[in-house]
Amino acid sequence: MKNILAMILAGGRVDELSVLTLYRPKSALPFGGLYRVIDFPLSNLEHSGIEKVGVLSQYRSDSLLRHIGSGAAWDMVGSRRGIHLLPPMKGTVSSDWYKGTADAVYQNKDFIFRNQPDYVLVLSGDHVYKMDYSEMLAFHQSMKADVTVAFVRPDDHGMERFGQGVMEEGGEQGGRLLRYVEKPSQPISEWASMTIYLFNADALHFVLDEMMKPPSTEHFGRDILPVLLDRKRVFGYKFHGPWEYSRTIDEYWAANMSLLQDRPALDIDRWQVRTNLDNERVRDRAPAVIGAGALVRNSRIHHGCVVEGTVINSILFPGVTVAAGSTVKDSILFYDTRIAAHARVTKVITDVEVTIGAQAVVGGARRPGANKEYPDLLSSGITLIGRNTVIPVRAQIGANCIIYPNKGEEDFSEKIIAGGRTLK
Amino acid sequence: MRQTVAFLLAGGVGSRLNILGWMRAKPAVPFGGCYRLIDFTMSNAMHSGVQQIGILTQYRPYSLMGHIGSGEAWDLIGRRRCAKILPPSTGREDFDWYRGTADAVAQNLDFAVRYGAQRVLILSGDHIYKMDYAAMVEFHKQKKAAITIAMMRVAWEETHHFGIAQVDDEQRITAWEEKPAKAKSNLASMGVYVIDFEFLEKSLAGRRGHDFGKNIINDAIGVAPVYAYLFSGYWADVGTLKAYWQTNMDILTPGSGLNLPEWGVRTNIDDEGSLGDRPPAVVAPSAKIQNALISAGCVIEGAVLNSVLSPGVHVAAGAVVRDAVIMHDVRIGAKAEVSSVIADKGVVFGPACRVGGPGPSEQPNEKYPDHLYSGLTLVGKKAVVPERIKIFRNSIVEPHTTPLSYGEYKPREGAYIRGALPSEGKALGRPSSR
Repeated sequence: MKNILAMILAGGRVDELSVLTLYRPKSALPFGGLYRVIDFPLSNLEHSGIEKVGVLSQYRSDSLLRHIGSGAAWDMVGSRRGIHLLPPMKGTVSSDWYKGTADAVYQNKDFIFRNQPDYVLVLSGDHVYKMDYSEMLAFHQSMKADVTVAFVRPDDHGMERFGQGVMEEGGEQGGRLLRYVEKPSQPISEWASMTIYLFNADALHFVLDEMMKPPSTEHFGRDILPVLLDRKRVFGYKFHGPWEYSRTIDEYWAANMSLLQDRPALDIDRWQVRTNLDNERVRDRAPAVIGAGALVRNSRIHHGCVVEGTVINSILFPGVTVAAGSTVKDSILFYDTRIAAHARVTKVITDVEVTIGAQAVVGGARRPGANKEYPDLLSSGITLIGRNTVIPVRAQIGANCIIYPNKGEEDFSEKIIAGGRTLK
Repeated sequence: MRQTVAFLLAGGVGSRLNILGWMRAKPAVPFGGCYRLIDFTMSNAMHSGVQQIGILTQYRPYSLMGHIGSGEAWDLIGRRRCAKILPPSTGREDFDWYRGTADAVAQNLDFAVRYGAQRVLILSGDHIYKMDYAAMVEFHKQKKAAITIAMMRVAWEETHHFGIAQVDDEQRITAWEEKPAKAKSNLASMGVYVIDFEFLEKSLAGRRGHDFGKNIINDAIGVAPVYAYLFSGYWADVGTLKAYWQTNMDILTPGSGLNLPEWGVRTNIDDEGSLGDRPPAVVAPSAKIQNALISAGCVIEGAVLNSVLSPGVHVAAGAVVRDAVIMHDVRIGAKAEVSSVIADKGVVFGPACRVGGPGPSEQPNEKYPDHLYSGLTLVGKKAVVPERIKIFRNSIVEPHTTPLSYGEYKPREGAYIRGALPSEGKALGRPSSR
């Protein structure tokens, strides 16, 4: 097998995810009742036989570092395997922070070429999907391409958020990339870039040595690709599986909830996704206990959960407890959330170690008004509770509310937070 | 706990667990959803600060070796910490296999010497309990004892299974009987001993017998200071099928004393060797779950009541699982009814089959009446139970049986369903005689 090095861009925060990405980059966001988003690209790499990986971290990387650990979870330890975390460094000429995809790769040029790769695969750590990169590599090789970019047809709106490519027609798997525009206001194609780039080593050398002109070149999509089309053999590769962008609260919530459907497109039960079970002590937790008075329907639960109350249409990460008499509906509860007795939780996302006090009522409204401070982020009726916050006993929190992390009893001057309000 | 080296006696055959123990040593028998019996002792050792533990195996150690792995699951890895499997090795004479518990330790004293042990902690791998061995070692040191034995009060009718001691006001043991027919006390040994290293070396050197209870302890009473350390928590010996099932049910009984979420038991899940990690359990809209333990990777579409489910169990719509212990990756077909059953890994219950039933039965198992008489039904590893078949209480279905194994089968209580080929039993470790 040829020597392939993967570089995962995993440092981005994504402002639209609000309090969920205050303390972690998007790539470290919990997903699907057990995983972190970066588990998906890492498992894809493992299953594709790519065992040398650099992870470019930047924003609040502690959570990501802990999760990746030694890399053993993805079998990436050994003398010729490994995951290397590459935080930004202070350079002599260029400045320290990564300013974009191309800049991040540029700053790690030494790391890349020290590994003497034949190919370099640049990925985003922010997306949920299953893909065999070796098929993309086979396409790349058979086309004698210098660079191949993966494209997908997103099934919903928001095309203006993606880079778009026009490929030569006729190729089932893809074709020569004829035109590429980053986030056009008018769509030029139905094919959106997945920000997966496969470079021949020579082509990457060319890009980094000849085309990078810091500080004006920062992004592959915006600054490099449109120009590269005329100078190298650049191909588009069509990916047909489900792909979750999850860049807004609504998309994130919907992608998680889609796992509860009868035959979910995101078939994580078959995908053989791996995660680091040492993180959040998942491996040390006992199987879930469903009490004699509990009612659990259409939900996902994991080890360490103790359910005595009612859980409907919800996703419970490891260690969530739901006390007797309480009801959880349409919600996503991260690790170690505690729901006390007789609380009612509807359409809520709680971050790790949140406590909902007894008899508190959180979320849920027929026709909610948008969040007043962030109407663009939160208008569909979801309520967000930041990590390590304690919602007081008998408190009432409306829909579209955002409660910031680390809030305690003393931060709630009143026990009623009306719909659409934000507690900072 | 420095200078205390532990030996875990894990050679038990567990013959009374019948087909659950055919292919694995008793300590490797799955328990409580995602654990094996040995995890409870290993976790106690870890929480007590034991740093070196030698695991003495003999009978079918393969499951156990994979399970202990590097010892990392119990944090027993590092420069001084370790969990080592110590298989029997030939000594100066041919076929020097272990002849008893004390003999097993005697042959591996080097392990304790290597770590400069002042005393050894002897444990067994087949009990369910939570205990702080450090407190016991502290007691042993205070009493300047040669041997300290962990003991607890048991029901008088159980005394004939145990080593029984009489003690004075200082908890010094004044009399000892091994499995007495008529006991003078109900203070029973848990098979957990702290023994002074020098004393042990001397006792083993001039040994006449090979067993701790029968020989070493018996000989020491009145000669050396032997003390009883009293334990009074939940403790279960899961040596019989009835006890195995009951102890699993205790997990589901609030106030039983067996509280898995609080005990902090650790296991090694890497020995499953799967390509992906088990996803979160799926509870479908049609599911009904009450009073149950559900592990990762389970898919529940039917009803699960008062049952313990290991990882990867699939309960199809319309199926009912009641009062059952169901191990890894068992599939229960649509409209199947499974009650008061212990099903080993990978069993497939065909659609609409009816296996087991509630309550006791007059008719014990026809082949193993001593093993199965309380009304449970036992289904062996990877057995395929045909659709619509009825299997009644106290029946045993051998591992790897297929629908072809039911040629002459007539549903009855206490049935024994054999594998298709007579030679299969041998390969499966089926005991040649009871």
